[in-house]
Amino acid sequence: MEKKSLWEFGTREVVYAAIGAALYGVFSWVTNFLALPAAGNIALRPAVAIPLFFGIAFGPWVGFLSGFVGNVLGDFLSGWGFWWYWDLGNGIMGMIPGLIAAGIVSYKAKETIIKAEIFIVIGAAVGILVPSLLEIPFSGIDLKTAIVGYWLPAAGTNIINGLILVPILMVAYDAVVARSGR
Amino acid sequence: MLVTWKYHPRNSLLEKLDPRARWFFSFLVLFSIIQFWDVRFLCFFFALVMTQYALARLTWAETRRVWTFILIMVIGIVALNTLFTGRGGTTEVLSGGHIIWRVEWNVLGLSIHPTITVERVWFAFSQIVRMISISTLFLIIPFTMDPRLYGVTFRGMGIPDRFAFSMDLAFRFVPTLARDFSTTLDAQRARGYELDKLEGGVVAQIRKMAPLVVPVTMNAILSGEDITNAMDLRCFGLRPRTWVHKLSYVRRDYILIAAGVVILISSIVLKMAFHVGDFWMPAWALTWAR
Repeated sequence: MEKKSLWEFGTREVVYAAIGAALYGVFSWVTNFLALPAAGNIALRPAVAIPLFFGIAFGPWVGFLSGFVGNVLGDFLSGWGFWWYWDLGNGIMGMIPGLIAAGIVSYKAKETIIKAEIFIVIGAAVGILVPSLLEIPFSGIDLKTAIVGYWLPAAGTNIINGLILVPILMVAYDAVVARSGR
Repeated sequence: MLVTWKYHPRNSLLEKLDPRARWFFSFLVLFSIIQFWDVRFLCFFFALVMTQYALARLTWAETRRVWTFILIMVIGIVALNTLFTGRGGTTEVLSGGHIIWRVEWNVLGLSIHPTITVERVWFAFSQIVRMISISTLFLIIPFTMDPRLYGVTFRGMGIPDRFAFSMDLAFRFVPTLARDFSTTLDAQRARGYELDKLEGGVVAQIRKMAPLVVPVTMNAILSGEDITNAMDLRCFGLRPRTWVHKLSYVRRDYILIAAGVVILISSIVLKMAFHVGDFWMPAWALTWAR
């Protein structure tokens, strides 16, 4: 079997980064458009599973671009302007789970899913921490507000969505890989 | 369900400018704004971004939703910051100050005492002006920049060819994937899936999104293989790409970039050499203290 290079960005990665970004953008827009139900203050934003999953399936650059460009697209479709440091945070969120991409043999193996879940938590936590901390110099808030007002609600909901949806996508993708032979 | 970009030609001055010049100007102004906490300087930037907003020829109906979002977010965060955590980026508001209102609450055995001082209120006002200025600076971009130009714009700003092309491709995929989503949603609804009536707890509700998310994603991945093969057969990436749309700077673009550079240098000089721009409060505001 051909050994995968973790940081490769060839034709395949160009295409899947674009698909991941477009999917994330469309799902984000749909979440706003259809006003999906929410429980308490946890909004259902299933779209965040896309950059996390694309990172795991296609590597860190694909995860980064899916998150970064996808968030730009979602905001552009909804007409919400350009929030570059939140786009960057979404990119990092997709990039970190991508660090395990090269070593994956089976996407439905228990150990792969556990490893992916751990990296999803780290990815969402670190990815959202970056823009939350950047709000300190830009918005003049203090660390406590950045953590309580931005990081906890955003990272928490992203982790919940990622932990539930990404394993389902991984199992489905395993069947696609088996079928295509790639 | 029809996905549409917010951009449409408005024949505005902003659309005549090179998108690269506009990005450079926006980031230069952004880094100028964050030099200041003095509301007098922030008002200058507020006026500058509002002028840019006016030049964009946007209607209230188009931007009402985003304004609501920005105002709720800004006021919510500033209220939380002012009331409970007290200060922000400047040390002047850290402690003490002239008290307007103070109360002591006992929450689950913990004693918290939110205090509002004149300094905190004025700082909150400065924060609101600064946050709205930064938001408005970038708010107009989706409405006034042609999505077909993003790839070539970012390539022109120095991003590698493959990354720029991937961004360009993402914009092109959106209508196709939105259509696929719509088809899948209709198919699932025909099978009795009710998106609007998802029941159960948070976990159950998220899990019930899978019948929508999984087929659309897997279908897109499968079609991606065909696109990859087609691009490889056309020797994608062997040579630098050429782009359908070409961008070229004209005099007004250089003027815009130069204006951004002058604003940033002036801001840095004012801050570093003359030590102005830190938190400022008018003397008359002290009359608010009890």
